[in-house]
Amino acid sequence: MLTRQISLSVPVFLFIFLFQEAVVSQFKLPGGGFSLFVIFALVWAVISTPEIAALTGFGAGILMDMSGGAGGPVGQWTLIMIIVCYGVSYLGYGDGNINGNPIGVVFFVVVANLLTEMLFLTSSALLGVTTGSFGQVLVTLLGNSLWTLVITPIVLPVFSFMHNFVFETRSAL
Amino acid sequence: MRYGGEGRTRLLLIILIVTALFLITLDLRGVAVLDGARQGTQTILSPFQKAGNFILSPVKNFVSDLTHLGRTRNQIEKLRADNAKLKADLLNRKNADAQLKQLESILDLAGTAGYKVVNAKVISQGSSQSFSQTVTIDSGSNAGIKKNMTVLSQTGIAGVVKDVYPTTALVMLATDPAFKIGVRIAGTQQIGILSGRGSRSGSLQLLDNLTTVKVGDVLLARGSVANRPFVPGVPVGYVTAVDNSAGEIAQSGTVRYYTNFGALGVLAVVVSASSSNPGDALVPPKPVPTPIPTVTVYVTPSPSPTK
Repeated sequence: MLTRQISLSVPVFLFIFLFQEAVVSQFKLPGGGFSLFVIFALVWAVISTPEIAALTGFGAGILMDMSGGAGGPVGQWTLIMIIVCYGVSYLGYGDGNINGNPIGVVFFVVVANLLTEMLFLTSSALLGVTTGSFGQVLVTLLGNSLWTLVITPIVLPVFSFMHNFVFETRSAL
Repeated sequence: MRYGGEGRTRLLLIILIVTALFLITLDLRGVAVLDGARQGTQTILSPFQKAGNFILSPVKNFVSDLTHLGRTRNQIEKLRADNAKLKADLLNRKNADAQLKQLESILDLAGTAGYKVVNAKVISQGSSQSFSQTVTIDSGSNAGIKKNMTVLSQTGIAGVVKDVYPTTALVMLATDPAFKIGVRIAGTQQIGILSGRGSRSGSLQLLDNLTTVKVGDVLLARGSVANRPFVPGVPVGYVTAVDNSAGEIAQSGTVRYYTNFGALGVLAVVVSASSSNPGDALVPPKPVPTPIPTVTVYVTPSPSPTK
């Protein structure tokens, strides 16, 4: 069972990562735009068990760290994504109002995305990575959150379908 | 309901976090394996990025262009006129023409200063998720590009090469908050440091408290030792505001970059500079006002008025 899940999850994650790098990153959107890959990883984590969510965070973080545009050292995104993915899954697991309700999932993903950004800022400060002026950081945080709020409801049915297919669950968002 | 928190899950979480911390430590200690992994990933990604850039180039600037609409009525009118004219052209030809124009301007700039450049297309915008301002270009170490080389746009400095891969390179834009460049004011030769602020404006800090700067002053790159990371004489921008606060040791100001970072299509990496400093030769010409024709009418009264 686990072999099937991993063998199906890995190509899905690689495809979304490739789509993010080849297509989404071509657009220079106002407010800093959004990361489809982060949204995907967070949705996947919210509707999974904490164990799967931690592994999801690890895999997604490694891929983000390998991207040429990653700001910090290798491992920084991995650490952040493990913590955030595990956290959102742990808090929402078993609560139908959160991981069984599309509005709950969208809310959790937006908050988790904001948390991801803030953890990146904090860890960057500790690791000596420059992140810009307060105003610019604020614009990026707000812009990213708004874009995530807009994009997540659109892609949620697709991501939920993929998750159900991989984990053979019957519930659908 | 909260998750039960079985020991297995906690053990897995600890192992994963320790692995991430281990990776961070290795990278900060400069272990080459991780750099190789990033290079390998970038090498695999670059064909996909190039394909994405080729397919999406006619539409990718659409959203960023929308944000600039409404600034002035004239701009909107001009855009409408341009749009009507360009509708007649083929979509791909339109894109190629625009890139050719940028390339011509870059080659003019590089030719005037005697720089040897490698031209490259922008194939990807950096992720804002990392709060950095970068672009990926489609030339890398195979074309002679090395880390810390100056990158030019058609109108001046665009940034500096941050990382190099065999077929691509990551360029840190001059707008990046971590970007700093030594500049001098054309004419007066006063020197200062310009820092990126995340937007098209940068912060200028003069180094000498006896010198002054004024609005409209043109800034050029001062150049670095062995011309890396910056070659001398590249136009950077012009001063738009001066801060004369009494508490400041030296004057500071705001600078607007010549480069339009929202429409970067073609860039050039300076692989070698000329042996002589171009001085102020690259200072962009000031716009010349168009003369308005005037008509003078002389009226001479007739000697004998008629009835």
